Amino acid sequence: MPSDLYREELLDHYRDPQNYGVLPEADIDVRLNNATCGDTIHLTARLDDEGRIAKVMFEGQGCVVSMASASMLTEEVVGKRREEVLAMGLPDIETMLGGIRLSMGRVKCATLALRALQQGLKETEEA
Amino acid sequence: MSPWDVEAVRAEFPILERTVHGKPVVYLDSTASAQKPRVVIETLRKVYTDYYANVHRGIYTFAELSTEAYEGAREKVARFIHAPEAAEVVFTRNATEALNLVAYTWGEANIGAGDRIVVTEMEHHSNLVPWQQLAQRKGAELAFVPVTEGGELDLDALRSLLADGKAKVVAFTLMSNVLGTITPAAEIVRLAHEAGATTVLDGAQAVPHLPVDVQALDADFLAFSGHKMGSPGVGVLWGRRALLEAMPPFLYGGDMILHVEKYHSEWNEIPHKFEAGTPPIAETIALGAAVDFLTGLGMEAVHQHEQELVAYAMKRLLEVEGLHILGPSAEKRGGVVAFWMDAAHPHDIAALLDEEGVCVRAGHHCAEPLHARYGVPATARASFYVYNRPQDIDALVAALQRVNALLRR
Repeated sequence: MPSDLYREELLDHYRDPQNYGVLPEADIDVRLNNATCGDTIHLTARLDDEGRIAKVMFEGQGCVVSMASASMLTEEVVGKRREEVLAMGLPDIETMLGGIRLSMGRVKCATLALRALQQGLKETEEA
Repeated sequence: MSPWDVEAVRAEFPILERTVHGKPVVYLDSTASAQKPRVVIETLRKVYTDYYANVHRGIYTFAELSTEAYEGAREKVARFIHAPEAAEVVFTRNATEALNLVAYTWGEANIGAGDRIVVTEMEHHSNLVPWQQLAQRKGAELAFVPVTEGGELDLDALRSLLADGKAKVVAFTLMSNVLGTITPAAEIVRLAHEAGATTVLDGAQAVPHLPVDVQALDADFLAFSGHKMGSPGVGVLWGRRALLEAMPPFLYGGDMILHVEKYHSEWNEIPHKFEAGTPPIAETIALGAAVDFLTGLGMEAVHQHEQELVAYAMKRLLEVEGLHILGPSAEKRGGVVAFWMDAAHPHDIAALLDEEGVCVRAGHHCAEPLHARYGVPATARASFYVYNRPQDIDALVAALQRVNALLRR
């Protein structure tokens, strides 16, 4: 039997990711990779007038965990304020992925998209 | 298959009786670290229950027994690699530390601005980064022997790198931990010596798996790790006496000195000059037991067994749709197969295989430049040792078929 990590919901996001592609005229445009496993992500996002996340899209290559996590994140964060997203961490990702507990080796994969988004938010703040 | 009695060998490795996720464990990651035979585990227990004490110091019975066993391990290691004398065998923490020792002592003393350091594209980071950093410190040039598409070293390119006499050192692996390629070491050493360069051989993969004779190879330095050959974590640096004697110490402290005054010290003779502080005593004695175990099996027979396994593995793996193997044909490699699949990221391969009790490594295996050369960010890798059998490969292939069924889009 497949484990929690490879259950149908995550596999659906992996096989058919949501918001896959590059957002034109994006406020956030970040490329990030996982040196240890070669996962890559190109994340683009637009903020609304009040600084909330309006739309997120991503492109990338990686394992089921990183790609499914990115796909789910693009839905999860819409409408959230900057501070809310910056406050997110591993427990939020584990909850989003269905309440699974990630092994040490998969944490970086699962949080790749979140780290990209947070880096982008910090860059827009500084700009 | 050979008359090799793999079941008898397996019976010597208690961990193989374990199950993972309710399945018998299929251990295919010996290239990262090998499992330990009973005799090694038993030796550790015996040292601590029978005679443990610090080495090279006491005059009491335990101290003398410990020292005798510790120095006995050095003799065994020396015989194993056909070193002319045991004093040329230096114990380190691992192969990485052994290579750093050479780069930091011999390298600091012998490499200057404008000199060329030659490594290969297939090096493990441990035989690349110390040289890369030495080159940066010294203003030396770091040059790479390219790897061909088929996973072999381009010796014509090596000849060109040696032609102008600027090359001072050629550091290369005897066997790639990713491609499995067994390099033409004797020829590389000959070419390097003709050009006046010193040779540093990374034997981390070769020494546990095939006969290695430092005198037949005419090598200058050889580094390897005990933990990849069934021993606890102990490293070995072998070097020619004249080179070791001329090198400054690496670490300073107890045991490596002959005489200390307040503002001046004199160094101990080799190998002790390079073994500062209390070493991992029981672990090193157990390395001696691992060497005895492998010698009992016969290194030629070990190599033969693994060649049969790798040939079978390459044939069977290509039955898996969308699977690609890196590196040369089976007869040119040791028991290592790195591969990637169209349908699955290496992490997913390793995670799904784990659910079947099959242990493989996923990632760049400490060889990022090599993966970059092939344009693949990561691979999955299966590797074989004395305890592996064709059934292990069948289990691997069955698990990979399941990966395809689950993840193919």
